[in-house]
Amino acid sequence: MIGRILLYLFLAAGMAATAFPFLWMITTAFKTLPEALSPALNLLPAQWQWHNFVETFQAAPFGRYFFNSFMVGSAVTAAVIVSSLMAGYAFARLDFRGRSLLFGIVLATMMVPFEATLIPNFALIRRLGWYNTYPALIVPWCANAFSIFLMRQAFMGLPADYFDAAKVDGCGHLRFLFRVAAPLVKPALVTVGLFAFLGSYNSLIWPLVVTSEDTMRVVQVGLTVFSGAEGVRLHLLMCASTIVILPTVALYFAAQKNFLESALGSGIKG
Amino acid sequence: MLRRCMWVVVCCFLASCGGRGPGGDPPASQTPAFKPIDASAAVFWDRQTTETGALIRTLVDEFNAKRPHALPVKIEHTGGYSDIFRKVSASIQAGALPAMAVAYQSMTAEYAQAGAVADLDPFIRNAESGLGPEDLDDFYPVVIETNRYPGFGGKMLSFPFCKSVLMLYFNKKVLSHAGFDAPPATWDDFLVQCRQIKEKTGKPAYAVSVDCSTIVGMIFSLGGEVCDGKQTLFDSPEAIRAFGIIETLAKEKLGYPITPGSYDDETALAQGSVAFCIRSSSGRTNVAMLMQGAQDQWGMVRIPQGDPAHPRTVLFGPNICIFNTSPEQQQAAWDFVKFFTSREIGVRWALGTGYLPIRKSAADDPGLKKFWEAWPYNRAAFDCLPFAKSEPNLTGWQEVRALVEKAETEILAGLKSGQDAAIELKRKADAVLAGQ
Repeated sequence: MIGRILLYLFLAAGMAATAFPFLWMITTAFKTLPEALSPALNLLPAQWQWHNFVETFQAAPFGRYFFNSFMVGSAVTAAVIVSSLMAGYAFARLDFRGRSLLFGIVLATMMVPFEATLIPNFALIRRLGWYNTYPALIVPWCANAFSIFLMRQAFMGLPADYFDAAKVDGCGHLRFLFRVAAPLVKPALVTVGLFAFLGSYNSLIWPLVVTSEDTMRVVQVGLTVFSGAEGVRLHLLMCASTIVILPTVALYFAAQKNFLESALGSGIKG
Repeated sequence: MLRRCMWVVVCCFLASCGGRGPGGDPPASQTPAFKPIDASAAVFWDRQTTETGALIRTLVDEFNAKRPHALPVKIEHTGGYSDIFRKVSASIQAGALPAMAVAYQSMTAEYAQAGAVADLDPFIRNAESGLGPEDLDDFYPVVIETNRYPGFGGKMLSFPFCKSVLMLYFNKKVLSHAGFDAPPATWDDFLVQCRQIKEKTGKPAYAVSVDCSTIVGMIFSLGGEVCDGKQTLFDSPEAIRAFGIIETLAKEKLGYPITPGSYDDETALAQGSVAFCIRSSSGRTNVAMLMQGAQDQWGMVRIPQGDPAHPRTVLFGPNICIFNTSPEQQQAAWDFVKFFTSREIGVRWALGTGYLPIRKSAADDPGLKKFWEAWPYNRAAFDCLPFAKSEPNLTGWQEVRALVEKAETEILAGLKSGQDAAIELKRKADAVLAGQ
């Protein structure tokens, strides 16, 4: 009994440590600037500054930024799901010459830092005439090595007999992939989608570099308007962050079950 | 077959890596012209946000309204200085640039190496749209000189934009609690006051923002220089003295470093946790906001000096550089630069932002006079302009800045003495500059 109480106390402390920064962010959104910058860990504001939300939305067109973030995030997620599903299946189930070498090359791209590809990617976008367009925000992120790796591992876990049985029934690779295999690796697929959406939704440097108009910018770029050369409007930044974080939290809760299943199945640890 | 295909891929990759700008490496005498990033407007990549962002957008609108038939200027917020540097560097590779961008001298020097920056001397000398001798004399010499680049034949490759000087901010309440009625005039006084404050409050007196400009300002204020040609002078007695002050602050726990990149020093000052912070004069508006209008509680003065009779401080703040795009884009950019640095606009900018007016005649402006009379410290930064000096505008200085900050951090962490750090810094910084 005592052991159980201690366990719950330990878990409660862990939960409080995890939740505190989020609570601080939300309550700071309602503080004045000096209160927000105070080193004291006062969670609640002396007076709730509701007008901070008005000021935040006046500082930048966040409505448009949200639309762009969702638009880009959804397109990237759909593309990553399709590309990793097909590439992962090919690497797991198709027998072709140079498969291991090609898979090694795909994995090696994970070692190339974003900074190293920024300039060549931007130069390519300019030459394609995609500067300040949705394709510039979407196309470079339509496939990635980690998602392919995750899907390959998921397909490797399927017994080969499933495909053999489907083949006897006249099923080709594509039909087997979309009708049989994809539903069986749903947790991994949801995880890939979740990572793709969050990666796109949270990206800052790339959208900042390839866009210039407010009509094409995304929420993370919007957050930079509160950091000036002479200081940070922390209360407004937290206000904007509170709003910006809501969709990602909602998405995580919606996909939580599948995400945990996939993490447990693939051996990924947080 | 596979091997042949791989060779083709490798050759294509190497060929694609070779390009430097449009048309590859330009001959030394030839300057490549870059495509405008937007042919319908002279795009200006800037970093101003919040109120200052709103003000500069207003000024751009006013400028465009004055010349309805000419190419308009379009301002685009492009993140912080490092983001702008990244975006310009990438755009140079892509062969398309905005008409102008905000840039520190070290950034301009990097762009100039790629042949991307326009020489402004022909624009300045232009009989129709240039600046006359009276106009040129009206600028403080230091703000003009800092935009001439010795590494590029002394050409004027940028024009002053947002200028500020290093200042000492102090909390009056903390000072008076320790028995002082005025901030320190010399570095010796500064240490004395820090010790006394530490004794009275039990807390460090100075929140240190680790920054190369502060170290350079300290060296200048002690009568030293930081460079002689491509040789740094970090082993000079003045530089060693500056690093020695940092060592004393660390050893006696009179100062502590704040989180890098934060403004915790200004917050600590406003909350009365420390007596001093040393920052750009442009931070005035932020400190005023943090002090919630309590102007009698704080002040800002020039940084402590080695010899107060011969004061010096460091000038900083970005400039504008105009890129080698089309003549029409360049002319629109130059017209905007000229408009922005006119006396009237310079005063409006200074009153709205905390940056300094860069023309001497601004001192006669009634609006500015009224502002100075409103609070005695409002004028302090402007009075520093005649003796302010900028950091070197050498290629490679950006890397040297990082080394200076590393040395300062090592001293503050107690890893090195001031003298050891200074000598090692000199060796490393000289190697960086020699490699350019």
